[in-house]
Amino acid sequence: MAIEVQNLNVHIKGIHILKNLNLTIPEKQITCVIGPSGCGKSTLLRTLNRLIDSTEGVRLEGKVLVDGTDIIGSGPEITELRRKIGLVSQRPCPLPMSIFDNVAYGCRINKMYKRHRDLENAVQENLRAVGLWDEVRGRVRTPAARLSIGQQQRLCLARSLAVEPQYILADEATSALDPISSKTVEDLFVSLKKDYTIIMVTHTLRQALRIADNVVFMYLGEVIEAGPAQEVFNSPQQELTQKYLSGVFS
Amino acid sequence: MVKNRIVKDRLAQGVMFSLTIVAILFVVVMAIGLYLKSSPVLEGRSLFSLLTSSVWKPMKGEFGFLPFIVGTLWVTFLAILISFPISFLTAIYLTEYARPVVRKFVFPALDILAALPSVIYGVWGMLVIVPWISNHVAPHFMEFSSGYTVLAAGIVLGVMVIPLLVSLFIEVFTSVPAELREASLALGATRWQTTKKVVLRKTLAGVLAAVVLAISRAMGETIAVLMVCGCVIGIPTNILESCYPIPALIANNYGEMLSMPLYESALMFAALILFAVVLIFNLLSRIILYRIESREE
Repeated sequence: MAIEVQNLNVHIKGIHILKNLNLTIPEKQITCVIGPSGCGKSTLLRTLNRLIDSTEGVRLEGKVLVDGTDIIGSGPEITELRRKIGLVSQRPCPLPMSIFDNVAYGCRINKMYKRHRDLENAVQENLRAVGLWDEVRGRVRTPAARLSIGQQQRLCLARSLAVEPQYILADEATSALDPISSKTVEDLFVSLKKDYTIIMVTHTLRQALRIADNVVFMYLGEVIEAGPAQEVFNSPQQELTQKYLSGVFS
Repeated sequence: MVKNRIVKDRLAQGVMFSLTIVAILFVVVMAIGLYLKSSPVLEGRSLFSLLTSSVWKPMKGEFGFLPFIVGTLWVTFLAILISFPISFLTAIYLTEYARPVVRKFVFPALDILAALPSVIYGVWGMLVIVPWISNHVAPHFMEFSSGYTVLAAGIVLGVMVIPLLVSLFIEVFTSVPAELREASLALGATRWQTTKKVVLRKTLAGVLAAVVLAISRAMGETIAVLMVCGCVIGIPTNILESCYPIPALIANNYGEMLSMPLYESALMFAALILFAVVLIFNLLSRIILYRIESREE
């Protein structure tokens, strides 16, 4: 069991955002978190890599075990945790530097390679992994901002992969992309699950249907239903889940 | 009815456009006015000798502006040298590290500092900085110093510029989207690494623009500097000597010497020099900014 959430409560400025969450996120599978806007999907993701720390007035209670270590509280080394958990955000966010430097950024920060040669290989390898290498070879020294949005999103994924994480968090990673780029990125996630544990927040039910191994349905800060995708989609136990899946609300 | 609101829109646009033109024209008119006023002193004297001579004898019609130019540059340089690191790190702390509560208290304090009349800074300089230099700093280096020095002017001006620079830097740094910081943090970067490699990189152009604005502001500051610089004509060879920056020269002498047309003209020329220096600084920074921006896009 890769990530284990136990009695997690998150308050922001006195508002109870996540209510007593209990979850198990299995290794090397895609877990899709679905639910209507404002149900706490993103807050959950931001809690998992503790980016939520930068939110004003946040209070965390409960336990989140990542590989058996509780990441809530001041004990764990946050930078190390974040290196282990990659993030792909909703809108691609290339750093203000070249394509090469974007991918190399995390490696340099974490001092992963001593020789420049090794760094170059790693950058190339990760650009290949996201299918970007053939599109950008020969111009990896140009600013990343010149890439198309779809390419930028794949670059961000390559950047995350370059620090060799075990987990990938994706927060509606395809919602800002055109249909073709969206498909490319989606396929990428499927191909990556053999090596990574992927947790994906998605707004499109169809996407979850296509790629999820596990589904977590959240509503107003609570987990209503969670389990293998087949079970949740085909025979939802809770009325709310049934309604959501049948499109009564979205 | 539809027509009416469209006419209003056009009218508003027209009025605002004209006002914009007027605002720009002010600068042009000022430059022309200064040039015309200073033309008598330019007659019969080469621009080069006016700028490079250090002989200042208005009675004999000898005007060398070098001491004033050097004084201005010295004081401004020192002020930026003092205020830049303080403001820069303060702004980084406030935007990247400080909790909102801290900001809530520090921002008003900075606003108060920025709003203090410059004469108060001048008095503070005379009462605190000047004696401190005279009694404690200068004795280490020379036998006697009145304390009214380049150093005093630089410190006072530097402190004056801090609130301006801090608020400019804060504006620049907060323009960096939060997602960009989070992208860096999510890769395991520390705040300091994120600041250095992402925030500062993204805002290099803005930081430069802020510094140039502060330099322009510092060059023109008059009263506070005038009160502590010593106002002795001569090229300062070190920061423990007195100096006489251009704004102080103009403020001290204008009106007093109106009976001598050439003197008045010389002071106008001093103003023109100040104008030109600030203009050149701004143009240079524009060029650099443009370079930086086109490199990044």
